[in-house]
Amino acid sequence: MISVSGLIKRYGPADNRFTVVDGVSFHIAPGTVFGLLGPNGAGKSTIIRMLTTLSRPDGGRCLIDGIDVVLQPMEIKKRIGVVPQENNLDRELSARENLMIYGMLHRVVHLPERISAALGAVSLWEKRDVVVSHFSGGMQRRLLIARALLTEPTVLFLDEPTIGLDPQIRRQLWDVIRKCRRAGRTVMLTTHYIEEAEALCDMIGIVAAGRMIALDSPENLKKTIGEYVIDYPDEDGNQIQVICRTREEAHEKARALANGITIRRSNLEDVFIKLTGEKIE
Amino acid sequence: MTGWYPIFLREMLLFKRKLFKLGYLFSAMVVPVIYLITFGLGVGRSMPIEGTDYLTFLIPGLVAMSSMTNSYTWVASALNLNRLYFKTFQVLVQAPINPFAIMIGEVLAGMAKGLFASILIITVGLLVAPLFHLSWLLILTLMLNCFLFACLGVIVGMITKSHEDTSTYNNFLIMPMSFFSGTFFPVSRMPEPLQKLIAIFPLTHTNILIRKSALDSQGLLALAILLAYTIAFFFLGSRLIRKYSE
Repeated sequence: MISVSGLIKRYGPADNRFTVVDGVSFHIAPGTVFGLLGPNGAGKSTIIRMLTTLSRPDGGRCLIDGIDVVLQPMEIKKRIGVVPQENNLDRELSARENLMIYGMLHRVVHLPERISAALGAVSLWEKRDVVVSHFSGGMQRRLLIARALLTEPTVLFLDEPTIGLDPQIRRQLWDVIRKCRRAGRTVMLTTHYIEEAEALCDMIGIVAAGRMIALDSPENLKKTIGEYVIDYPDEDGNQIQVICRTREEAHEKARALANGITIRRSNLEDVFIKLTGEKIE
Repeated sequence: MTGWYPIFLREMLLFKRKLFKLGYLFSAMVVPVIYLITFGLGVGRSMPIEGTDYLTFLIPGLVAMSSMTNSYTWVASALNLNRLYFKTFQVLVQAPINPFAIMIGEVLAGMAKGLFASILIITVGLLVAPLFHLSWLLILTLMLNCFLFACLGVIVGMITKSHEDTSTYNNFLIMPMSFFSGTFFPVSRMPEPLQKLIAIFPLTHTNILIRKSALDSQGLLALAILLAYTIAFFFLGSRLIRKYSE
């Protein structure tokens, strides 16, 4: 369980502080996959860094399983697994050595067996003695996930876990995340990919300019803005979207428009555009 | 406090990979060997100094200098890169281990690398200088010096804001110490006002202690100063790790 209230983070010199995270609050129930959506610089990674003890908040409170992240960081570190946005594996060590060092740092018991299981779970057992610098980007992301799961954390944080991966590898990683949910883990992830959030998340938080501007299940978020969207080209060929509450409303409005119209169900991208006024990039 | 061991082990595994590259062995030895040839076998061959031949005077100084540069540089550079570019330092900070354990692991690894480079120089010294010999005081001083400068390496590695910044500390700390702290000639030959400034440098006291055959009052003072620096640097480095926040 993750509980965040009034979280604030500021950067910069004392006379010129700027707020990156501005009073963010949310609550994630155990066993939930929670997705933070937002454009670059919205504050998603900063929120993850604060929750994973890497960055000290300037205000607010974060609790994981009822434990305060700032007051009891050691207890938090025992409970969490982190897949960072940037690859922070030791590139000159093998996959097995990376997991061995990580497991020793976290005092994992039965380490050799756990390493075998973790590498097997991400299909990297055959490559266990290969130096990580020889791995592809997808293999390195899989190893990062294996490393994060080695300690069997109750809460897993993934910061842009599939960024830059091809669709096939991305879907393999989605399966790993779904397995985590089935195992009862709470998962918090940030992503740029709307389809990833739609496919994985039970709850979505939309962050813009450091503030949480929407927080609900994907279905409810879509209902909030309207469940149907009319796409049509204007006179200059630009694609226009009109969001409608119901199917009937969409058909009604569509009749008044010219050719080239499509009616579809709304998605999280429509929600995002409606709420922030910008496309997610 | 067993959390230091995986940090030390990680550094040793990375070090082992580098050791098998011929370039590393060569680069660890090249500067002291150049000094040895230029000053010891060239300039100072027939020049007696402090009651002994110059080569016997020079080799302990080169051992001290080499242990300083290797212990310091490895730690400062690796920590800076691991923190700012490779982000592997974050893995240590996010592990449930005491900040002191991170400090001890990093420092012992730096110490081991400094000792390795020093052993290479000692070996060369034993081959070329018949009067040079190992003493318990030399070994103790060498280990203390490696520990001290590895602690300084942690401090610099933690406070620098870019990898380029580390060269600033090299230019203002390590380089002056290498030349002025009694490595190549006794500090007493420097102008008096400069001697007072040089007395601030820890390497000056390493060079005093490493050349002693027995622990006299001057040696004891040098040892006390080195210990004070070591304790101060160790706690400052640990504090920087404990306070780390992005």
